[in-house]
Amino acid sequence: MMRGVVDGWWFVVGSCAMLVATTTSHVRGADVEKGKALFEQCAACHSLDATGDYDGPTLKGVIGRKAGSLEDYRYSAAMKRSDVVWDAATVDKYVADPQAFIPGNRMAFAGISDKTQREDLIAFLAVATKDTNSK
Amino acid sequence: MATRLREVDVVIVGLGWTGGILAKELSEAGMRVVALERGGMRSTNPDFAIPLIRDELKYAVRNALMQNPARDTLTFRHSPSEPSLPMRQLGSFLPGEGLGGAGVHWNGVTWRWTGIDHAARSYYEQRHGKSFIPADMPIQDWPMTYAELEPYYDKFERTAGVSGKAGNIRGTKQPGGNFFEQSRDRDYPLPALEPSYSQVLFNDATAHMGYHPFPRPCANASRAYTNPDGSRLGACVYCGHCERFGCEANAKGSPHITVIPKAMAQPTFELRTHSWVTKVMLDSTKKKAIGVAYTDVSNGQEYEQPAAIVALCAYAINNVHLMLLSSIGTPYDATTQKGIVGKNYCYQPGGGGVTLFFEDKIFNPFMATGAFGIAIDDFHANDQFDRAAMGALGGATINVGQSNGRPIGYRPVPAGTPRWGAEWKKATAKWYLRAMNIGVTASNMPNRYNAYDLDPTYKNVFGQPLLRLTYNFLENDKKVIAYVGQKASEIARSLNPTSMTGPGTLGDYNIVPYQSTHNTGGAIMGSSPGNSAVNKYLQSWDVPNVFVVGASAFPHNSAYNPTGPVGALAYWTADAIKKRYRQRPGLMT
Repeated sequence: MMRGVVDGWWFVVGSCAMLVATTTSHVRGADVEKGKALFEQCAACHSLDATGDYDGPTLKGVIGRKAGSLEDYRYSAAMKRSDVVWDAATVDKYVADPQAFIPGNRMAFAGISDKTQREDLIAFLAVATKDTNSK
Repeated sequence: MATRLREVDVVIVGLGWTGGILAKELSEAGMRVVALERGGMRSTNPDFAIPLIRDELKYAVRNALMQNPARDTLTFRHSPSEPSLPMRQLGSFLPGEGLGGAGVHWNGVTWRWTGIDHAARSYYEQRHGKSFIPADMPIQDWPMTYAELEPYYDKFERTAGVSGKAGNIRGTKQPGGNFFEQSRDRDYPLPALEPSYSQVLFNDATAHMGYHPFPRPCANASRAYTNPDGSRLGACVYCGHCERFGCEANAKGSPHITVIPKAMAQPTFELRTHSWVTKVMLDSTKKKAIGVAYTDVSNGQEYEQPAAIVALCAYAINNVHLMLLSSIGTPYDATTQKGIVGKNYCYQPGGGGVTLFFEDKIFNPFMATGAFGIAIDDFHANDQFDRAAMGALGGATINVGQSNGRPIGYRPVPAGTPRWGAEWKKATAKWYLRAMNIGVTASNMPNRYNAYDLDPTYKNVFGQPLLRLTYNFLENDKKVIAYVGQKASEIARSLNPTSMTGPGTLGDYNIVPYQSTHNTGGAIMGSSPGNSAVNKYLQSWDVPNVFVVGASAFPHNSAYNPTGPVGALAYWTADAIKKRYRQRPGLMT
């Protein structure tokens, strides 16, 4: 189940990138390496492998997960109520302006306004957050 | 009846920056360490998570992270001729309580003190002659040079994630940094933060006037950062809730996210919260500490914790209090000028600053960090600045920060505005966005009468005498504020504000309004037992297995904030314990 969702989302990202490539004049694919560098901004609070003591919930397996659903993390009521499922589109909206997308959530991050940077970050997350155990 | 616990190698009293640094360094070296913290446990999540941490009333007005003065406080008087009275509400300064101590609720300004600070008496005697130093001003050199402490300043800057711009790397001046700073081995770990509009104006105006503006070093991370210990700091979001708050983004260098978790990962370390140390226990010779007595304030149970080393790492004020309560060293007597413990209390005179109001400028004061700022050091670190013209020792930095635009506390209005009512409301709405401040932060030289001792009348919740503070601003302070305040005023006028208030003149010290939590001295360091309570390793001359770490060791107060050298000295002391004292206990020379 998890695998299908994760892979499905990855496929969606790939499609988006292709769509962008075929419909705009400046051809550009999302850059995973740049996304990895951008992730440094997230790494103070989020792990990719569910180890260590972090202030934010782990992002391992986040894609396809319902927002606010990890049992061992104390989320804000706003996050739990949000009814968001994390995919490329919702992560993009959230990272663009966290408080606008889910008002009252507790993530202490101002957001990334640059669309290209968000694409790169999401491409990185799609690879780096895969929950290999559930495959 | 107190329960006697099993002996450990080190007992640490207070777990803020200094206690945290010692806890990490000594437990990692394999020593068995117990830390006793009188307050509770704290962690960023959930304690400092938004939105609850943005409660200005709870944290900034009602001081949720601070010492409770109903349980313990100090008494105050201006001079020995006045009766002393207890400070029943916090005001002038805010000692913290709880894991991380003041390192949680500080703003983050992180200086290395100047060469003049490190060798105060030598500098003034050499440049101005012995007679320039007033007879009642007991200034003295630090027992270690700036160069000796440099690697430890560096270590603390790396730990705390300090953002800044070097001005002098290995003797080569660096454009954009502090022209007057001492040589440093390398730049800050993080680049300076983005300046505010007010800081840009100040930078350009002071550069135009021939001064040397530079970004003030601060432990507000300009970008995400992993420190050498692997502790992760987030990037500052300029939320304007540093001082009196914990940081929700882990962007403010704080012990609870750096050194303390590293200590807690060691099997040789144990933390006990709600553990209030009432006394250092000495043996019958009074030359050796055998441990500490403490009370678990959550249930009233009393304990004795034996230890081979006692490290006093409480707030500077409380370190001195514990020494006096425990009869470590000879109490200072201002009348006879005999004794040591309690002398050279210093603070931070203010009042030289200027607030500027502009009809045509918008400053967005809520886009703020506790410590970022542009400063000039031409009247402080500058060893060519002619203090004879000022007629006083020391000096002051002139700064533009922008620490907050919080709705309750931040209400700048021009002179002549009513204090309340419709006119005040109109003015505060109009000028909230249109005001900026140029601050003057002055040094404070010691005076024979500015000192601590034990109060003969008032007692704390444990029945122990309160610490008594005798303090006032003096002629030297008034001259510094008048002189540097005038310079700040000239800079302000060059910006052509619509109107401006200040600079004020310095009157008597008032313990009621908040000024700064920069209380220094009382257990000062020096070259001999005749001039100091602790030696160059912050080791008590009288009871050598007691270390007293923190700003209590400063023989005077700089115009710089204290936390840079406080952190550096903690690493310096930890190193001396690990590498020397541990092998051969006793007084280190």
